[in-house]
Amino acid sequence: MTTPFHSVRTLAFRPRPSCAFRPNTVTGVKRRTFADDNAKHNALPQAQEGQTGPNMQQAEHVSEEAAKMSQIMGTGSGPDIEGQGTPVQDILKEDEEARKHAPQVMKDSLKNPQSAHNAKPSTRPFSTLARRPAPAAMTPDAFDAAELDPSMIPTELQRAAYTATSESQAPESSIIPAEKLGHKFPLPTLPLPPNSHKDHRHHPVVHQVTNLLMRDGKKAAAQRNMAVILSTLRTAPPPTYSAARPLLPGCPPASHLPLHPVLYLTLAIDSVAPILRIRSQRGAAGGGVALQIPVPLGLRQRRRQAFEWILDAASKRKSRGSGNDMFAQKVAEELVAVVEGRSGVWEKRAAVHRLATTARSNLTYGRGGRR
Amino acid sequence: MSSSICLRCLKRSLVPIEASLPPTAAQRAAFSTSPSLSANPPKKKGAVGKPVVRAGKTLKLAKNKRASTVRPPAPGERKALRKRVVLSNTNALEVPGLQDLTTDNVDGGAVKGMRGTVVGLGNDTVDALRALEAFKPTQGWSLFRRPASLVRRETAELAELLQAVKESDGQGQQQVERRVVFGEKLSGKSVLLLQGMAMAYLQGWLVVHYPDAKDITIAHTSYRPVQTADGDTIYIQPHYTAQLLGNIAKANHGLLSGMRLGKQHQLPVPVQANISLARFAELGANDAELAWPVWQALWSELTAPSQPETEGLQRPPIFVGLDGVDYIMRDSAYLDGEARPVHAHDLALIRDFTNFLSGKTELPNGGMVLAATSASNRPSAPTLEHCLSRGHAEPQLPSLLAARDRLREQCTTAQSTADLDLSDIDQLLITLPTPLADQLRVFRRKLLASQGRGIFSSETIQQVCDAFQPELPRWDPYLAIDQRVADVMGRVTARKVQGLSKEEARGVMEYYARSGMLRGAVTEGLVGEKWTLAGEGIIGELEKGAVRARF
Repeated sequence: MTTPFHSVRTLAFRPRPSCAFRPNTVTGVKRRTFADDNAKHNALPQAQEGQTGPNMQQAEHVSEEAAKMSQIMGTGSGPDIEGQGTPVQDILKEDEEARKHAPQVMKDSLKNPQSAHNAKPSTRPFSTLARRPAPAAMTPDAFDAAELDPSMIPTELQRAAYTATSESQAPESSIIPAEKLGHKFPLPTLPLPPNSHKDHRHHPVVHQVTNLLMRDGKKAAAQRNMAVILSTLRTAPPPTYSAARPLLPGCPPASHLPLHPVLYLTLAIDSVAPILRIRSQRGAAGGGVALQIPVPLGLRQRRRQAFEWILDAASKRKSRGSGNDMFAQKVAEELVAVVEGRSGVWEKRAAVHRLATTARSNLTYGRGGRR
Repeated sequence: MSSSICLRCLKRSLVPIEASLPPTAAQRAAFSTSPSLSANPPKKKGAVGKPVVRAGKTLKLAKNKRASTVRPPAPGERKALRKRVVLSNTNALEVPGLQDLTTDNVDGGAVKGMRGTVVGLGNDTVDALRALEAFKPTQGWSLFRRPASLVRRETAELAELLQAVKESDGQGQQQVERRVVFGEKLSGKSVLLLQGMAMAYLQGWLVVHYPDAKDITIAHTSYRPVQTADGDTIYIQPHYTAQLLGNIAKANHGLLSGMRLGKQHQLPVPVQANISLARFAELGANDAELAWPVWQALWSELTAPSQPETEGLQRPPIFVGLDGVDYIMRDSAYLDGEARPVHAHDLALIRDFTNFLSGKTELPNGGMVLAATSASNRPSAPTLEHCLSRGHAEPQLPSLLAARDRLREQCTTAQSTADLDLSDIDQLLITLPTPLADQLRVFRRKLLASQGRGIFSSETIQQVCDAFQPELPRWDPYLAIDQRVADVMGRVTARKVQGLSKEEARGVMEYYARSGMLRGAVTEGLVGEKWTLAGEGIIGELEKGAVRARF
């Protein structure tokens, strides 16, 4: 099979994907869903209030129909629907069509009423009644209120408020399962928001950058520095984008950034983040020369590399003032410089990418044995 | 500015040590502790024939040489950058419908009506407060479009006090309100002081403010002993006094320029007899040598009884504020001739303030003396602490005794301890200050335990009630009390600044959101969450958590 376009067909032609800037997406990790999600999707559709839904106008039950029919005809001996329901046998007695299609057991029992009696279940030889334990003595007199700390005992006001709410909600609690009674506050709606856990309460970028700012395990100092960085970004004038250094596609207009400092920080870091690093494989090139192999980076790895470069650049800046917060101010100035395209970090990124481009032929190393 | 040399007599030194600097904030630090760093970089010498003989003992290595050849920052320049006060953030949104505090709405009733809302400060008020150094760099002014503050319960109370002083005008003895506000760190004490100054300024009072007592007492400014008429030795601080005079003249320029000298004063330089007080204060501000006599003369003018019918001799009520009162209620860092520490009350500026605070110096035209403690980096001042806790507990004692008496009446009709109505005691347990609440808790426990072996006797309850005599906090007898501090604090009202209520927290958080600083809707849940995380509404913590992303 030789076609003149053989080589052309092996080239994949894909348009460049338009990638909107999403600061919080993590590629490669499946989004976690919750058990409730499925139940929500499979739930039956419900009609709006006052309107007829899809399954609301259905044919009546067969016994209701028979009762109406007999009332109209004046026969007067239709099935009793107000009572305890109509036995199948009664319906079958009157309806010849139904009798024809009835199962064999029913046909037999109609012919021979004795067998129907045999089908009646007999009583159990043992009792199924469970003995309930006597209720524990939890009357107000049973425990001594004096032993408790007074702050634990509800005040008169609180008692009045509690009885008022429990009385007003009594009819409601018969409809809704009475889960409110045991809680002082209503239960939260599930699923909980992603930042509701105390260890994940910060934005992921803020969390990572705070840890990168930390020196000697002093997290509180790192958090103060982070707050200073964000405040400085808040109060600094909006940046002017540089045409020579394009940021991530889909970035917001510059005037929006100061009011959303976390976005500002994320945009600066993600724009200048390298997508590759160079791994030096020793002895692979022969003659004692290391072979340079480009390796793709994950999202957190890219951000970490970018922020380390920014930290390096910031520490080389000249401090203008004195005091605790000056380093944080230098970092903030460097972030602004990155967004404005003035920072030297861009050169570092370009150098890595250039090297990776020249070393791309080494990508085959290690694939399928020796070269 | 007067010439530093008297050309006729050449009496003063030709080169005054500290007058060469311009009269700015840098003047307060009259000497520098880093002279070698502030020197110009050494010039490169040309080729020398012989190797230079080693001059000193310092080892000279390449890495020890100063790398940069640019001129190092001037003394105080880097500190000035750190202490810079920024009052505006152009990125923040303009809050629509933000009401200003004006002369029309500073009376007690109107301020009370604005409780729970944020009110802005007008331009001239901001200028005056800035001149008084009332804004601090640690406060959150730099995050919002223009200065605005929350009207809280304590603010409304302050407005009513100012109103009361104003209404006592012309009824014989003028009322003077003297109080110290204290409270937790970041609870808004300094901003309350600022609000007091703003309201006093808008009501046409003369406002004097000691911006930070720490600067006066930590021995960073020049001092000199002088003898008073009683024979005591006090220490004047010429440069700091000049600084304060400058602040006063700048902040109250409109008022002071309408007043003139009314008495004869002994001054080292001849002064025009009917000079306006504004120019008189500037005279002292421009020359540190003149500052102390001018300060004394100015105060004797301002505390003279007002003569409204005479042009230039009318005297308004005075607001005197001081921040960081802990620093003046202990020994200062200055040393006397025998190298013993000087008590802060022996510093002349502080002595003037404590005389106002204790009421020793009268303010015949009425006024208010307000001091705030400082809770961050607080020096220990045990006597002050004791006086404050006692002063805070004292007004609560009657309500406690009344609750006890009500219980005592109840026990004649009650059949068991369950019949006793303890609701007001439980309420008091929440509101009372700690020392009283502890005693009340013990009393409550005894009361409920008195029903021994199921037998209830009203006599026992009565005995327990009679035995309950709540006590105010007592001084630890094994510690030496600072009697001078105790005397000053004797008649001063102590007021604790509590956390915000939820409504007030909601008001300030809505302001944050409308300024664009807080993203998202201000719901009841969010307010409750932030209020709780802020230690039940400590406003500084609330700001940290909601605006500064520091939680």
